[in-house]
Order: sequence, then structure tokens, then C-alpha cells
Amino acid sequence: MSAHSTHAYTGEAPKVWPAKVNQIPKEIFGDAALFEEELKKIFYGDTWHVVGHTAEVPNIGDFKTFDLGRVPLLIARGKDNQVRVFFNSCTHRGNQLETSVSGNRKEFECPYHRWLFSLDGTLAACPGSKEFAPDFKQENFGLVEVKTDQYLGLILVTMGKNTPPLKEWLGESALPTLTALLGGDGRLKLLGYQKVRYASNWKGYNDNDGYHAPLLHTGFRLLNWQGGKGFQRMTENGHVIFEAELKPATGNGFLKDPSLIAFKGSNPERGSVITQLFPMTVMTKHMDVINLRFAIARSHEVTEVHYAYFAHEDDSEELVQHRIRQSSNLLGPCGMVSMEDAAIFQRIHIGNQTPGFAEFQKGVTSLTEIPTDVKQNDETGNLPRWEHYRKVMGFKREGEQ
Amino acid sequence: MSQAVTAAHTSAIDALHTAYVAALDQGDMAAWAATFASNEASYFCISAENDRRGLPLALMYDDCRGRIDDRVSFVTKVWAGTYQPYRTRHFIQRLSCESAGNNQYRATSGFMIMMTPEGGATTILTSGEYRDLIDIQGEGDKVRAVFRERRAVYDADVLPRYIVFPF
Repeated sequence: MSAHSTHAYTGEAPKVWPAKVNQIPKEIFGDAALFEEELKKIFYGDTWHVVGHTAEVPNIGDFKTFDLGRVPLLIARGKDNQVRVFFNSCTHRGNQLETSVSGNRKEFECPYHRWLFSLDGTLAACPGSKEFAPDFKQENFGLVEVKTDQYLGLILVTMGKNTPPLKEWLGESALPTLTALLGGDGRLKLLGYQKVRYASNWKGYNDNDGYHAPLLHTGFRLLNWQGGKGFQRMTENGHVIFEAELKPATGNGFLKDPSLIAFKGSNPERGSVITQLFPMTVMTKHMDVINLRFAIARSHEVTEVHYAYFAHEDDSEELVQHRIRQSSNLLGPCGMVSMEDAAIFQRIHIGNQTPGFAEFQKGVTSLTEIPTDVKQNDETGNLPRWEHYRKVMGFKREGEQ
Repeated sequence: MSQAVTAAHTSAIDALHTAYVAALDQGDMAAWAATFASNEASYFCISAENDRRGLPLALMYDDCRGRIDDRVSFVTKVWAGTYQPYRTRHFIQRLSCESAGNNQYRATSGFMIMMTPEGGATTILTSGEYRDLIDIQGEGDKVRAVFRERRAVYDADVLPRYIVFPF
């Protein structure tokens, strides 16, 4: 618990949310006990969570490990080419099964008692099983699968019992944008990662990643980089979709190497595309960069983000090379137009340890109604997500019975 | 050190490493850029994970001299005032140096970068390995070494903060 926090949250009595819909109580950003509640209600609850893309594990036997909150996951491609998600824990005594971040295996062996699991999770061998408990059956001890589904290769998991079907949860209105972002058909090729930890609450990270007013970005102005026409759309369960045309950036003579910001994509009408899924996944296609940000809420004050970058399988060699240099330099934790974002995540977390509210202004037309229709540059696009968060967490509004 | 390296060249290479460290630890981006060859040079800063897996994506991908100069402009002009300041101390350890042709050497060294945010304690940013292609320019007393290419492969699978300055 931060020394600055004014209200201790016990996890029992709900926090009271202000009546004005454009105010977010800052106390929710610095609260260790609240984080435990969020793990239960959101991260282990009836919500889908993005944990990867199948292009990260393109070959049979490829795997990656990831965490959902504190729960370790093992994502592996089996001999049948199916990508499965398991709890990364041996079904014997619970030992962490795979320690590597990624790799390729013929099978997974737990070193503790040499239990051996096939790529599809089946328990293939367990030495000394004659002396095991009378009810032991080898077929009952395969790796435990986490409920998973995919959309164009995007891998989502849920630990909730009442999570809606994936497409319903994503929402019809989000699908065209997400499809465009994933290259139209999801046939992506992994280019690599930038991984970083931010000293920020996951909600602060999420509230300020994705789209925000370009006032922050001196780079846009210096490069004479004007955004085109576009829209911002929200779903009731907290997703935000953003699309904008992309006008060519001239660089304004500021760059010695303006080729870096060339746009070689074929669909300028969807030059800048963002899909932000509740609770904390931001995915973007900006110019020729395809960037999926796999985020992990580590604690109430640490958020880890794996920026994964992709090309499309049908790209020419030249386009792949262009994507590599543009992706490396543009939108990550050291990117030309995004390093400032990263700085904001940490500064906003420090600022949020003060009493009072984070105030939303631009685009607010009503203090009592959650906006459903917002303009491209309004900051109110975040409010439906906050409303969804409030409801999932069970926080009552001031004056509400 | 390979025997092919003369004392004058060794001394020039050491001076280059020193100039590189001094530039970054003083936050002098122009001096950093000046350690690279002025016509054709490249700088890559890439995670050990990407490097090991053959994934080409980097944290900084400056594959031409123009990109190196543009990085200087961004750090000093575009980003000024937007980031939380931090100071660094680089420590390097020579690992190998071999001739790569006439007046050119391939060198590797280990590095460690300590960082100190304003108002905070000193921690490790990351360690890693420099893999360099170094040119020797000039003759006699005027011998000088510059980076034709520097590849900073950093060890941290997850960096502890966002990054402003090159490694």
C-alpha cells in the first residue's frame, strides 16, 4: 500500500465510484489489496485474455511461456499442428514444467520425477508408477489445458466458467478492424520482440496506451505528420477500436533518412489501426508496423509488456526489410514516436498516488451518461471501459443503492 | 588479443571504447555519433533473445549513418523534456580482437550499464556484449579508430524501464 493512498481497501467493502462519469478515483492505481481482487475478478474471471499469436510458434514442437497474472502458461504446437495452452505445471507435484521463454521440444520432461509429457499434453511416461496410489491412471494426468480460442491466429485464454464465446466477447463491430490489423487473414511471420517493464499499474498503462491526443508527440509535428480522417468506436465490454487514414509523412526535412517513415502498405485508408481489448491488450497496425502488445499485470505497480512485431507471410523481401527497420525504431519502448508514451505510463503512476480523480474532459457531453458515440480525437473513448471495469469489480456509484 | 594487432592499433581501439563510454555517460549524443565512421556506419541494439533466435527485430536499428544522426536529433530535440532523466555508467571488458582485413578489426567486449534516475538509487540497466567492426584511420601519430558497425546485444530478457539512450 502506498504511503500516499488515502483510502485503505480491504477487499470487502466496495470502493465508492463518483457520480460523475468523467471522474476516475486515483486511489485504484496504488492499491495492493485491490490488485488481488482484480486477479480474481478480471484476470482469472469471465474475460478472454490475449496471450500470443500462433505465428510465434510456427513449427511443430515450438513453444513459448507466458503468464496470466501470476499463473504460468505453456503454449505449444503439437504434432497435429494444434496450438494448445497448458498450465505450466507438472501434474504430479506441481513443479514448473518449462523454464525457457521459448524454444522447440520433442516433449516436455519434468526434471523432478521425470514425468514426460507429449506436445499435446498427454502424460507419456512416469517412472515407477507401479507404486503409485491405487486410483492412479496415467491417462488422467495429462497437462491441464486452459480454455482457449483463436481469432486469425490470435490466441486468447480464459479461466472463467461463464465467459461468453470469443466472437461474441470481441463483438461484431470490432472484427473488421482486428482483421485488418492481423494482415487480413492472420498469416503472420514473427520478426521479434521488445520486452520491457513499466513502473505503472496495469490500468494506468492501459488507459494511456492505444490512442491518445497527439499533443504529446513532438515527433508528429516536427515530421509534419498529420493524421487523416478516422473514427473511434467502443464496445460495452470495454474494447476500443480506432481507425484512421494515413497521410504520407514528408519528414519535413528533419530526418536525414526519411525512408524510415515511408508507408509501403497497400491500404492507406486503414493506415493507422488500433484494437484495444479489455482488460489490457493493445494491438496496432501503424504504417507498415504490425505490433501486438502482450501485457502482463505483475503487481499493482508493475506492468510488463512484450511488444511483438510481425510481417505478413506474403510480403516481398523488400517489404520485410522495411518492416524490420520501421518496427524496430518507431513504436516500442524506445520508439521515435512512442518513447514519450512509455514515460507517461510511469509518470502517471506516480501522479496517481495523490488523492482525488483522474478527470476526463475532451469530448465529455454528459456527466451522467456513459458516451457511446465519440469523435476521433475525444478522450472519452476510455469511459465505457472504465464503466465495464467498475461493474466487473462491483463498485457502486455514489448515490447508487 | 590476436598478435596481428599492433600496439598503435590496440591503443586506438582502447581510445575508441573510452570515447564511446565517456560520450554516453556524459549524455553527449553528438560525441556518441562521432565514434562511428562518418560515411558508412551502423548501430544495432538488440536483445539476446532475438539475437539467439535469429529474429532480426532490434530495440534500435540504425543501419546507415543517416539513422545514427537521426537518433541524435530525436534524443536531443524531439524527446527533450518528455522523459524522466537518468544517468548511466558503462563498464566494458575486452573479450577478443581479431584482424578483419586491412586496417579493420572484429572485436567483442562485455558491457554492464548502471543507471541512476534523478532522485533515485543506482541499479543495473542491463549487461551484454558489444560485437564491433572497427576501422583504423590515419597513420603514425594520427591513428584513430572508429566503429564501422557496433552491435550491442543486451542480456535482459525484459528491460527494467523504457530506454532513451543507446547502450
